[in-house]
Amino acid sequence: MGDLGPEDKKGIGNLDDPGLPFNYAEREYGTVSMDETRARFQWTSEVAYKNVHRIVARGYDTTELMEEGYGMTDVLFVDFQARIASVEEDQMLNYVMIMALEDGLSAPAAVSRLVAQSKTFLTQACGASVHAFGHAYGAYSAFGNRLLDDLTAGRENGLDIDAIAQGIVDDNLNDESLGVSDLMLQDPAAKRMIERARKLGVAGEYVELMTAIVEKAQAASDTPVDIDMLGAMGAVMLDLGFTPEATWAILAVTRSFAAGAHFIEEIERAEYRRLGQVLTPPEMYDGPSDRPVPPLSEREANAKPALTTDLDEWAKQEEERKSVWGSGYSIHEEIEDPSKKTGVKSVGK
Amino acid sequence: MQRRADIERKTSISYKTEEKTVMRGYNLSDLAEEGYSFTDAMFVLFQNRIPAKEEEKMLRYEMGVFLEHSMSPSAAGAIGVAAGRPNLTSTIAASISTFGGVHGPGAAHGYMMKKYLRRAHEEGKTVEEIAEVLVDEYMDNGLPVMGMGQPQHTDSDPRAEPIHLKQEELGLNGVYLRLQRALEKYFHARRKKEGRDYVGVNVVGAGNTALCDIGFAPNAAWCIGSVCRGFSCAAHALFNMKRGRAWAASKREPMVQMLDLSMIKYVGPEDRIVPKQSERAEYAKNQKEEGEYKKWVI
Repeated sequence: MGDLGPEDKKGIGNLDDPGLPFNYAEREYGTVSMDETRARFQWTSEVAYKNVHRIVARGYDTTELMEEGYGMTDVLFVDFQARIASVEEDQMLNYVMIMALEDGLSAPAAVSRLVAQSKTFLTQACGASVHAFGHAYGAYSAFGNRLLDDLTAGRENGLDIDAIAQGIVDDNLNDESLGVSDLMLQDPAAKRMIERARKLGVAGEYVELMTAIVEKAQAASDTPVDIDMLGAMGAVMLDLGFTPEATWAILAVTRSFAAGAHFIEEIERAEYRRLGQVLTPPEMYDGPSDRPVPPLSEREANAKPALTTDLDEWAKQEEERKSVWGSGYSIHEEIEDPSKKTGVKSVGK
Repeated sequence: MQRRADIERKTSISYKTEEKTVMRGYNLSDLAEEGYSFTDAMFVLFQNRIPAKEEEKMLRYEMGVFLEHSMSPSAAGAIGVAAGRPNLTSTIAASISTFGGVHGPGAAHGYMMKKYLRRAHEEGKTVEEIAEVLVDEYMDNGLPVMGMGQPQHTDSDPRAEPIHLKQEELGLNGVYLRLQRALEKYFHARRKKEGRDYVGVNVVGAGNTALCDIGFAPNAAWCIGSVCRGFSCAAHALFNMKRGRAWAASKREPMVQMLDLSMIKYVGPEDRIVPKQSERAEYAKNQKEEGEYKKWVI
C-alpha cells in the first residue's frame, strides 16, 4: 500500500485547484502504522469484566450474587451504582419497574408492532421500542437533571425547598418534563408510588422537592394538574440513587420487555405487511393538489432554485418554507452558547 | 391533548384508561402495592398468571446472572454507538439488536427442544432416547449443538451449570431439564469417545431450559434474555459517555483508542488510480472481463 505518487494523480476534478489549502495529489495513501508510543487499545470498563471462569460486576461475581439470593434488580444497583441496595430500596425499584412495564398501545408497543409486521427478529422490535423513549415520552433525563441542577444551585444560593420548587414551576409550568400535568387526575398510581416510597423509608429530598413542585404547580395552573408518572418515577429513582440517565435507561429497557410481548402478539394475531401493500387514502393527504409532471425539456422554466443571496431574501424564504410540512423548516433546534460548550441543547419544536 | 392509542389493535395484553393501567386483568398499581416483584410481573405479561414462589426465584436468578456480561457483542455495540454521542436510547437499542442467531438466548434453542420432545412423543421414544437422536443429528451433520459451548468461557460458562443446579434445588426440573441434561450427558460422552475437547453447556442451554420449564415460550425467553442485557449495556454506554471521550479516537488519551487510525488494518485491493470518465467504458469492461474483482465481492 501507499506506492502511488503525486505524478499518478494529476488532473482529477477540482483536486488541483489552487484554492485547496493543500496539494491533494501529494496526500499519502496507506494505513497508519501502529502507535507504539501508547498502550494498545483495550476495552476499558469500571462496570464489569469477565475471564474464562467468572463474570464480575463492580467487584462482585454475578453468579455468586445470585447464589446468595440477590436478584436481577439488585444487579441494577450494582451496575449503575456499584453498591448493594437495602431490601427496601430493592422493593421500591421492583415497584417502579412494574409500573414502567406496560402502558397499553402507546408508542413503544406501537413501534414494536410496526417493526414486527415487516417479519424481522424480535430483538429488532424490542430495540426499536427503546427509541420511543425520547425527551417527551421518556423525559427522565430532562426531568432528573433539572431537579439535580436546581436543587444543587438552589442550595448553594441558600434557597429552601419551597423556593427551589417555585423557581422550577415558574420556569417550566407547561414543560412536558415537569412531572406535573393533567394526565393522572383520575389515576392514583403516581401518588400511590410516592406514598409507597415514604412507607418504605426510601423517599428523600427529591420526593420532597417533587411534592413541593406539585403544590406550586397546582397553585400556578389555571386548570387541574397533579403529579404524573414521570414525576413519581423520576423523583423516586433519584432518591434510590439512580442518575437521570440511569433512570432513563432502566425504565426504557423495562418497557422493552412488554414491547416483546406486543411483538409476539402481533405475529400471533396479525399479518405481515408486504412491500407496497399499505395504502394511504387521499383523505389523509393535505399536500399540493395532483398536477402534471412538467416535461424535462421545460425544467428551467419550472424550476424554483433555493439559492438566496441576501439576508432579506433568505429570511423571507425561511418563513415561506415553513409551509412545507416535512421540510424541517418548522423545527427549531436551540444550540448551546458556544462560550459554554458546543452541541445541540434541545431537539424538536 | 390527544389520548387515543397510537395504533389500533385488539390486544389481550393490556389496556389503559384515565383511571388505571391494566395488564392481563391486573391493575398494575395494585400488583406493585401488593408486593409482587418485577419478575412476578414478567409471568403476568408473558403467561397471564401469577407464578409459584420457586418459579419467581428461578426467573430472578436467571435474569440476574444474564444481565451483565462485560464485553460481548451487545456491550461492544452499545459502546461503539455511544462514540458518536447519540441519545442514550440509541446505544441501548443497538445492544438489544445485536442479539441475533449466535449471540445470546435466541429462541432457536427453545424451539429445538420442543421439536425433539414432540418427536419423542409422536415416535414413542423416551426423553433420553430423543436426546441422543438430537445430538447425533446435529453432530453427524457437522452442526453445533445449540446451547453448548461459549467462545469466551471455554472452561465452562460460569452461569450455566449453576442455573441447572438452582433449577433442581427449586424443584423445577421438568421435561426440558431432563432433555437438556440427557443431551449434555450424551454430547460429552460422544465428544470424549471421539477424542475431542470438553465443551460445556452455555447460558442459553441452561437458561432457556429453565425458562421453558417455568412456562416461557421460546420467543418470550429470548425477549427476557436479550432485553435484560440492555440494562447492563446502558451502564457500559453511560460509562463511556460520561467518563470517555466522544469519537474514541483522541490522540491525547494515554491508551490508543478504539477508533484511532492505527487500529485500521486494511486487507483489500491495492491503492489504485480513479479512472477518468473518458476511460470509464473500457476500464469497466476490462475489469469485468479480468474478473479479479470477484474475489472481493461480499
